[in-house]
Amino acid sequence: MILALVVITALAFDFTNGFHDTANAMATSIATKALRPKTAVALSGVLNLVGAFLSVEVALTVTNAVVKIQDKTGAPKAELLADGGSGLLLIILAGLVGGIVWNLLTWLFGLPSSSSHALFGGLVGAALAGLGVAGVNWNGDGSKLDGVVGKVLLPAVISPVIAGVVAAVGTWIIFKVTTGVAARFTEKGFRWGQIGSASLVSLAHGTNDAQKTMGVITLALIASGHWSDLENIPLWVKVSAALAIALGTYLGGWRIIRTLGKGITDITPPQGTAAQSGAAAVILASSHLGFALSTTHVATGSVIGSGLGRPGATVRWGVAGRMVLAWLITLPSAGLVGAAMWYVGDAVGGMAGALAVFTLLVLASGAMYMRSRAGRVDHENVNDDWDGAPDQSATPIPAAAAN
Amino acid sequence: MHNLGFALTGAWQVLLAGLALGAGLPIIFALGIRSLAWGAGEASVNSSGVTAGTRRPLGTVLGYALFTVVVLGVLLGLTFIVGSGFGYKLDFSHIYPTLVAK
Repeated sequence: MILALVVITALAFDFTNGFHDTANAMATSIATKALRPKTAVALSGVLNLVGAFLSVEVALTVTNAVVKIQDKTGAPKAELLADGGSGLLLIILAGLVGGIVWNLLTWLFGLPSSSSHALFGGLVGAALAGLGVAGVNWNGDGSKLDGVVGKVLLPAVISPVIAGVVAAVGTWIIFKVTTGVAARFTEKGFRWGQIGSASLVSLAHGTNDAQKTMGVITLALIASGHWSDLENIPLWVKVSAALAIALGTYLGGWRIIRTLGKGITDITPPQGTAAQSGAAAVILASSHLGFALSTTHVATGSVIGSGLGRPGATVRWGVAGRMVLAWLITLPSAGLVGAAMWYVGDAVGGMAGALAVFTLLVLASGAMYMRSRAGRVDHENVNDDWDGAPDQSATPIPAAAAN
Repeated sequence: MHNLGFALTGAWQVLLAGLALGAGLPIIFALGIRSLAWGAGEASVNSSGVTAGTRRPLGTVLGYALFTVVVLGVLLGLTFIVGSGFGYKLDFSHIYPTLVAK
């Protein structure tokens, strides 16, 4: 029963992960009108679905990056299974809730923050509360880039800068090359350039992020004794996780798409091409080299870079600054929620505790959804001008001031 | 602080690969667009109406050749995504990329 709650919560996290990250791939194409908003999210959703099935690698050890609840093979630690696995399930559940709440809150403010960091933050908080300081993998064992510092903090600082430099260089040279070329060539060309590069980012996202949920669900199944194979993931887990992320992507996090596509800088098709190619190359190169990073940080960095690279473009540093602030507090905030949820679940205890945590999640999500109804952002108004938009609550500042 | 060392080493490699592929390919793509436009010739407007420019086949061929390079680069990226999903990785130790089991 607790297991069922964990599975549902994990799929819900996967869903928020989907709509939170649509912007990474599609915001630029939507902003430049290379694709109509609905077409863009549909394309991205399908590619995420395909991507989720493309990878047969087992991401069972996903939590090892930040917490110590599994051994190297992916099996849950024996000492955590003494009570039939419910202690471990509570940590996972609380961690997932931390991730979801943070994802929804940043979505409400239209801030592109990393879904992986929200998940990791939630897990770190829940593990700190449940297992103490020793339950967190802070720094790895020194043999490779690992732990909270190596897998979360350092990449978060470094990857947006790299992506920004790549996109800025690309944009700057592209504008040099195509000055004076007739618009009928550049428009059609860069339209395809954008669609192609954005599709690559979507596909890469599907292969990476859906795996995380699959790994977490399978871990919960193993902990509760419903699965024992460390080499494979049950088919229904794969299918449901793939569908959840694809549906979430198709729903489209319009608020975040708006911030990334219109808020940071006004994007032209050549910039979109450069930003998305830069993002795709940085994501693929770093996953080739085993350098963990967040799609969100890369995509945002490359959009800022494309704003810096185009002669005459301005970057709205206020918007960019708020985003960076959100990145900085993602890990601790999701961690706080995760820890609080663990204490609630532990205090109530057992099945009722898990139910209490789940109820709190439903209440919090419902409240944030209701809050979002005032000042909707959807596929109709996602491309409205950023400055002087009548829809004031779509911009983060007034929304924050209203609280 | 071993992590910082690993991160900086990794960052260098990612930056170089990112510049080569992430900035290089779109630049080649832009050059391709420019060649195509040059190949189509410049239209001119005069008293007898609009005259299409003289076509330059070299530009068109060059343009599509450049696009082919970009498509190959994208295919390489796709191969990497699909390959790593099925437990292979790209190996660049021969100059051309090959798939090897991880």
